[in-house]
Amino acid sequence: MSEQLGQPGITSTSILGNPVLRREDDTLVRGQGRFVGNVPLEGALHVQFVRSTAAHGTIGSIEVDDALAMPGVVAVYTAADLGLDDRPVLMGFYPAEMARPFLARDRVRFVGEPIAVVVAETQYQAADAAETVWADIEPLPPVLGLSDALDGENLLFPDVGHNVAFRNSVEDPFDFSGYEVVVTENIVNSRVAAVSIEPRVVAAGIEDGRLTCWASSQGAHNFRKAVTDLLGIEGEDLRVFVQDIGGGFGAKGVTSEEEVMVVHLARKLGRTVRWTETRTENLTGHVHGRAQEQKVTIAGTSDGDIQAYRLDMLQDCGAYPRFGAFLPEFTRQMASGVYDIERVEVEYTSVVTTTTPVCAYRGAGRPEATAAIERAVDLYAAEIGMDPAEVRRRNLPASSAFPFTNATGTVYDSGEYEMVLDAALEASDYTGLRAEQQRRRDAGDNRQMGIGICVYVEITGFGGSEYGEVSLQADGTVLAVTGSTPIGTGHLTTWAMIVADRLGVPLEAVTVFHGDTDRVPSGQLTGGSRSVQIAGSSMGDAADKLVDLARDAAADLLEAAPDDLVLDRGRGAFHVAGTPSASRSWAEIASEAAEPLVGLSDFVQAGATFPFGAHIAVVEVDTETGQTTVERIVAVDDAGVIVNPLLAAGQVHGGLAQGIAQALLEEVRFDEDGNPQTSNLADYPAISMMEVPSYERSFTETPTPLNPLGAKGIGEAGSIGSTAAVQSAVVDALAPFGIRHLDMPLTPERIWSALQASGA
Amino acid sequence: MEAMSVTFARTVDDACAALAEHPGALLLAGGTDLMVGVNRGQVRFADVVVLDRVDELRGWRREGDEIVLGAGLTYAEMGRGELPALVPALAQASRTVGSPQIRNAGTLGGNVATSSPAGDTLPVLAALDATIDLRSAQGARRLAIGEFVTGVKQNALEPGELIEAVRVPVLDGPQEFLKVGTRNAMVISVVSLALVVDRSGRNVRVGLGSVSPVPLRPADAEAHIAGCIDWDTGSAPDAAAVHRFAALVAGAARPIDDHRGTAAYRSHAVGVLARRALLRAFPGGAS
Repeated sequence: MSEQLGQPGITSTSILGNPVLRREDDTLVRGQGRFVGNVPLEGALHVQFVRSTAAHGTIGSIEVDDALAMPGVVAVYTAADLGLDDRPVLMGFYPAEMARPFLARDRVRFVGEPIAVVVAETQYQAADAAETVWADIEPLPPVLGLSDALDGENLLFPDVGHNVAFRNSVEDPFDFSGYEVVVTENIVNSRVAAVSIEPRVVAAGIEDGRLTCWASSQGAHNFRKAVTDLLGIEGEDLRVFVQDIGGGFGAKGVTSEEEVMVVHLARKLGRTVRWTETRTENLTGHVHGRAQEQKVTIAGTSDGDIQAYRLDMLQDCGAYPRFGAFLPEFTRQMASGVYDIERVEVEYTSVVTTTTPVCAYRGAGRPEATAAIERAVDLYAAEIGMDPAEVRRRNLPASSAFPFTNATGTVYDSGEYEMVLDAALEASDYTGLRAEQQRRRDAGDNRQMGIGICVYVEITGFGGSEYGEVSLQADGTVLAVTGSTPIGTGHLTTWAMIVADRLGVPLEAVTVFHGDTDRVPSGQLTGGSRSVQIAGSSMGDAADKLVDLARDAAADLLEAAPDDLVLDRGRGAFHVAGTPSASRSWAEIASEAAEPLVGLSDFVQAGATFPFGAHIAVVEVDTETGQTTVERIVAVDDAGVIVNPLLAAGQVHGGLAQGIAQALLEEVRFDEDGNPQTSNLADYPAISMMEVPSYERSFTETPTPLNPLGAKGIGEAGSIGSTAAVQSAVVDALAPFGIRHLDMPLTPERIWSALQASGA
Repeated sequence: MEAMSVTFARTVDDACAALAEHPGALLLAGGTDLMVGVNRGQVRFADVVVLDRVDELRGWRREGDEIVLGAGLTYAEMGRGELPALVPALAQASRTVGSPQIRNAGTLGGNVATSSPAGDTLPVLAALDATIDLRSAQGARRLAIGEFVTGVKQNALEPGELIEAVRVPVLDGPQEFLKVGTRNAMVISVVSLALVVDRSGRNVRVGLGSVSPVPLRPADAEAHIAGCIDWDTGSAPDAAAVHRFAALVAGAARPIDDHRGTAAYRSHAVGVLARRALLRAFPGGAS
């Protein structure tokens, strides 16, 4: 690879590292975004799914005749005549019998599961007709609690004989009895919903004789592969467009059954069809995240040396195991967090329940690991009577230990954990905070202060490559083509900055193209915070390849040897070294070229990168009502070299809010019959601006050696640190009342009840 | 399917005539409650009378010591202009409702007619002893708010009748509205409380929301605290009196468990709100 971007002496005028405003926003704020719901599709039919209102039951018959007779109705299908085989389990990891029918076949397994689909001329006709579809469902006992699921008294898939989708067992569990201090606790990492502003939406039809699809997905090529595999057609027989999408948060990383069915219906009917789900369908029928029951066991000396840690997990997969069943594996890899602990072991079991399926959600498995270890460290600190900041400091690996292999075998690329902890402690005036906390405790104040610390590390990028193509157009402008899919986080700006920097052209000269599987040969999912580090590095690499081609072309024009030419990035021109007057600009090279010069990336990132940071939350808990107010969030995040600090800060802001949300507010709940209790945004308290403080945040930059940008991912980190910090802060505020742990979400009622139980 | 009729009334008489013709018609003003029910399929109807073009129902006016609030007064309108100085608790309550879009559309008459235990204006109207002006083709009648709301989403509105206005007094004394929800904005209340002080009447009046089927007045608490205040000096009641007041308010609540909160928490929280509202109205009191 070529030299480090931004290195002194290479370019003194680099745009990298500057807070460049999002180029996306001009069109978005004018309402000119290209969302699937806005794509003009002449004569498109509308799709409405009929969903189960029972959590668990056997299907007798489904009556669709009334619906078929309704005005405007074109077709109604059930599993019997849809013509699709069941969707196989993910990668063959789970019992094959846990395959998911596209429309429930014989049995329903969660409220919201599609049982029939109606296609009609208008959205309203489709909705009216769907109301008349009647399913005879014989109720079966719901399977809700994870222990109940594990007991297997009631089975979702009787042919399997149990409710276990996936598990990891430790052969020879180690004995904790010999340690000086051992603390255990049961922890629930609550089930949450992604709540993208734009719910699921998809359209498909025959365009120019080709099956074409407009999707709101985190990866155009992944979407195409999922659909074509399941429909049994060749990849090239489907063209997928992904333009603007209104948020994904991981939930749009897996192509849903409904989306596959919409493409199938377009083929089957030979018509253009579109489906837009409602918020209630989104909250009950789309995937949820987290949903883990954990047991932590932590052991060490009485002077603060953590020696052993064990994490047991029960993962709720919901009704059909997909990515959710695999989440605890990510939790396992990151179980020991930032700490250097000699012995760590992890067991987990993923079980199916009669609830909405669980999948990836911002952080996917890593926030669960962080929440568990950070609670465990706090419990251990409380047990030995040591300050939680000090216990953390004593157990962090030294910066000289990197690359650092943690006790579960994960190799952390680079880290300066003590540096970020110290920076956060200093920025928060930790000593002053503890003094104020003590003052309030002594005074018996009914506004108790809590301080929560989280030092986190997470996995991003996961290695691999991304399609990157940078070409010089005849008019001297630059076209950059990526296989990645921007999901609203400003990548069009970031990538253009990287290309402009490499070439020495103005940002305005660079156009980024993405999201058309006909034009872009391959692409990966936007997920795991990979799209700056990997897609961005491939953009830089493709631009470097273009520089090489352009240098050859300029050498021909200047009748000089290519090796004698240098690129003056300040002027955007090649010249003979030492003779700046003899030069050829990008525009001149473009106009002389017989065909566009095209640089193609061959960058591959060898492995995952590990961003880290320290978050300190300061909360005030009203001991009379149980209401928590987040007074301060001090966040020091290190995601390697930052390409655009404004956009990176935006990612942290959103992540912090989502972390506070899970800690204090949000939880998907079901009643004892398995009915969703949080199926709209009045009952599911998605966080608002009214609950978040003004953040105090900063970046440190510890480069990764794994890509030329030196960048790690920042998309998920905010939600990973803040969740644990806020939870710990609330528990800390309640410590004088003898409370050592409370599960999320820390609602006023939960806190008040705990205070009541403590006798406060 | 049978066609539905939609009448866009321009005057109260128009609306009453349309209602006389279709006594089962739904009245549509802001639609912020109604359309939720319609969209969920919980509200079925054949006829609609639309009220948002009736100028007589809009705005408010002062009649002596009374404010006459048009049924079409929006939450946004309750919170701006001179009204907040005249009926502070109503303005405070209106500002806790929904989002700006909802506050621009939702109306006082709609909130009263929906008669939900969680209706944000209802505790205020209860505390103020508001009266409701009803009209139909047969004539007009006036009911106290306590007579009007008869149960959970049930009221004394007869077929063919509409709410024309809500009358509240202008009182001499501070007013407070406090609400507990599942977040700080855009929420349905878990409990709410309005407290108004009437210095000339020498009483403190309290309305409770979301703790009983109808807006509740804790009579024992009101009687107790009125007797603990030195009305000549207006000095704050002592700590014991305040605690007793809070306990009586909590004891008067008759809440239920539901998915937003438990009865135990609601009773407790409404007591805390009572104490805080009283201390805001009488600053300097011992907590």
